[in-house]
Amino acid sequence: MPGARSRKKKQSEYFFDYSLLFIVLFLIGFGLIMIYSTSSYEAKLEYDDAAFYLKKQAFASALGLVMMFVVAQIPYHFWERFATLGYIVSAILILLVQTGLGRESHGARRWLNLGGISLQPAEIAKLGMILFLASLVCKMGRSIRSMKGFMTVLLVPAPICLMVWKITDNMSSAIIIFGIAALMLFVASPDYKKFVLITMAGIAVAALVVFVISKQEMGSGTLDFRGERILAWLDPEAYASGKGFQTLQALYAIGSGGIFGKGLGQSMQKLGFLPEAQNDMIFSIICEELGLFGAIAIILMFVLLIWRLMVIANNASDLFGALLVVGVLGHFAIQVILNIAVVTNTIPNTGISLPFISYGGSSVMFLLVEIGLVLSVARGIRLKEY
Amino acid sequence: MTVFVGCLLIFLLLAGRLVYLMVGCSDYYSEEARRLHERERSIKAARGRIIDANGVVLADNKTVCTVSVIHNQIEDKEAVIQVLCEKLNLEEEYVRKRVEKYTAIERIKSNVDKETGDAIRELKLPGVKVDEDYKRYYPYDSLASKVLGFTGGDNQGIVGLEVKYEEYLKGTEGTILTVTDAKGIEIDTAGENRIEPVSGGDLHISLDMNIQKYATQLAMQAMETKQAESVSILVMNPKNGEILAMVNVPEFNLNDPFTLPGDADTSGMSEKEKQDALNRMWRNGCINDTYEPGSTFKVITAAAGLEAGVVTTEDTFSCPGYVMVEDRRIRCHKAGGHGTENFVQATMNSCNPAFVTVGLRIGAERYYDYFQKFGLLSKTNIDLPGEAGTIMHKKENIGMVELATMSFGQSFQITPIQLATTISSIINGGDRVTPHFGTYVTSPDGEVIQKFEYPVKEHIVSEETSETMRYMLEQVVENGGGQKAYIEGYRIGGKTATSQTLPRGSGRYIASFCGFAPADDPQVLAIAIIHTPQGVYYGGQIAAPVVRQLFENILPYLEEMDYN
Repeated sequence: MPGARSRKKKQSEYFFDYSLLFIVLFLIGFGLIMIYSTSSYEAKLEYDDAAFYLKKQAFASALGLVMMFVVAQIPYHFWERFATLGYIVSAILILLVQTGLGRESHGARRWLNLGGISLQPAEIAKLGMILFLASLVCKMGRSIRSMKGFMTVLLVPAPICLMVWKITDNMSSAIIIFGIAALMLFVASPDYKKFVLITMAGIAVAALVVFVISKQEMGSGTLDFRGERILAWLDPEAYASGKGFQTLQALYAIGSGGIFGKGLGQSMQKLGFLPEAQNDMIFSIICEELGLFGAIAIILMFVLLIWRLMVIANNASDLFGALLVVGVLGHFAIQVILNIAVVTNTIPNTGISLPFISYGGSSVMFLLVEIGLVLSVARGIRLKEY
Repeated sequence: MTVFVGCLLIFLLLAGRLVYLMVGCSDYYSEEARRLHERERSIKAARGRIIDANGVVLADNKTVCTVSVIHNQIEDKEAVIQVLCEKLNLEEEYVRKRVEKYTAIERIKSNVDKETGDAIRELKLPGVKVDEDYKRYYPYDSLASKVLGFTGGDNQGIVGLEVKYEEYLKGTEGTILTVTDAKGIEIDTAGENRIEPVSGGDLHISLDMNIQKYATQLAMQAMETKQAESVSILVMNPKNGEILAMVNVPEFNLNDPFTLPGDADTSGMSEKEKQDALNRMWRNGCINDTYEPGSTFKVITAAAGLEAGVVTTEDTFSCPGYVMVEDRRIRCHKAGGHGTENFVQATMNSCNPAFVTVGLRIGAERYYDYFQKFGLLSKTNIDLPGEAGTIMHKKENIGMVELATMSFGQSFQITPIQLATTISSIINGGDRVTPHFGTYVTSPDGEVIQKFEYPVKEHIVSEETSETMRYMLEQVVENGGGQKAYIEGYRIGGKTATSQTLPRGSGRYIASFCGFAPADDPQVLAIAIIHTPQGVYYGGQIAAPVVRQLFENILPYLEEMDYN
């Protein structure tokens, strides 16, 4: 980005990453347009207000942006002292879901009602984990290269992952948290051998699970909903009225988009055919309305975002800052990849939203706080040295 | 950096997946999606009419309405249920089940009067849809009911010509495709895709409404005066097999075919019993039922005898009132016997011993072969569904006694149409015709799109035999047992029959007469069959007058028609 470079020359001392800001603002703006496009028809029917979802999301985004700028102004080392606290608070909030404060939606108990604001503890846990691991790795120093250190970093997030998975019944968030941890560990200790082993073990386990489940199908009909999801993934049309329904509807949307799409607002699938269209499945509506062209453009925007985060991580003034950015990068990358993979039925269906674009107030706020952290790290880059 | 490259690779893979889905599978998914979004409503095609020989429409269409509900558009469910029950005279339970069923569109009732449909439409209830379409309508109610048949709720033929000519009559349904959202609400901007229906072709038949009407009157009259169970009259052109009238009284009302005759008590009947009763009511006795033809069948024995050369008109027979066949004594209907008579006189007298003698002379094997040659073993292939086959001895089982009884029309069964067709073929010069109604089909704009040809098997008997038979049968009417069919100024040929219904000795008879005119060049042949008459049951006494009355009226009429 030559623009960024020239700006750096003009500015002295402080660096504010406008490129990142603009990418984020673009994604949020685009997300708002798509949310309006996908939700207006149903919002009109249900709430008699076509902009019902748009308004809520716009409000959350505005609030998130304010929080982002506030966080960006605070030197990121300020947060280091809260690392352990964050870990503990995450755990407590997850447990609270099972109490009277918990709220159920779409058949899963994942939300907390705190004074009128509902939020997912899993979102807090992600942020908390990034902070905690960054601080932990810094404290460990060189010992991370030892086997013991390696295992420690790998095992520390495990309790939170298990809690997210088992208590809030949210496997996708557990996977994301674990993925963030693994990525941060990899950056702190780039030991290829171990990671190749872990990756291969992971693939082997996944393949085994798929194999066992598809075998089980012949035997008995007693499968839990995840087992059925895997079968629906293998053949969505055979499960068209059940677990494969959403996936199949998403595929209809994507497939009918073609190269240039039907045009903004022209989606048919959003008219009640595709459940959660403005939510986890928003990418399929983007495909339907804007075609392959629009879909690739959005993917490119996310690639740019990740690239910016990488640049900041590489240039961060210290390890703690770099690790924070890597954590955020991991969070975004994993979520974007998993979301698009789910929507295109590349992996079994699981509820993951598309960062900045999917509808979801608490999600966008936490994402923007994370961006705030990154901007704070970016401010710490001393240009003279660069 | 590694992380970034890794992400980039995964994104490339996902982009590849997108290209595959959005370019490679685009057609498939677009089509599937279109099917999901479109709702199809069919537009009924107007069914072709059935038109008689003079252009009178016997089966027509009238506009009726189909009432349906669209589940998702219903606002006041109770009001909808109440209104539909009231206006359509339906059970509440039935309507409720359909209104509450979760489907895109559910039909409540079809064939609703136009006035009722309009009244429901006027109420403008959300979710209730009234579509107009066509209903079969028969202007003459019960006229030729068992020939024409009727259609079911979906306008498909169920019995009679309606089902036989279904492919010509039904036409092709059209469709209206509208784009809807997931709740089934039509999206106005998307417009609709309409495929126009193609009307069915008009079927033109040989039946003559005037003859049919008159024959029906006569049959009704005979049934009433003789307290008979049923009366059938069949009028056909012996030269080409065209059927001019086919009456089976009691007939039924084609506009209300599912109601059993007036006094029938249906309350105690199970569904199956009711269906059986309906099937009995719809049966066409002329083609669906077989009977022992009795003496009319002597026409066939005589023709076979003449063909085989075992008998001439001059041969003399002696009838003592019975004939011994093996150890069986077969009686003549005249207890004292007919005495000495030649073959023509034996035919006039309908003398059983004489015909037994002729039958025995022909012999079982040859007789069976003639049976086959005359077409009696196969169906006539009339263009009506459900024709019954001949019930006949196996060739190897025909002994002397069986042969003797067959000679005068007993111990086997054929349908009335089979008898009429075979006699037609014997007297028309020897060509076996195919009896039929359908002549041609025209498109809605009057163009002939299909002419029907029917097979003719030539020379089943020689021209001489045919001529002899015409002469002998004319004698039967002029001086013999068929005198009651005689009309001054016309040359009529014919043969009477009085047969017993099985089991024998039940006192139930079938009186029949088969006549044709003019005797030297037959233009029309008629059979009257009276089932189970009370009192006098001789065919010559009660069936021959029916044919005479028929001929008295239709012969001048047919002559007049020919002049035109």
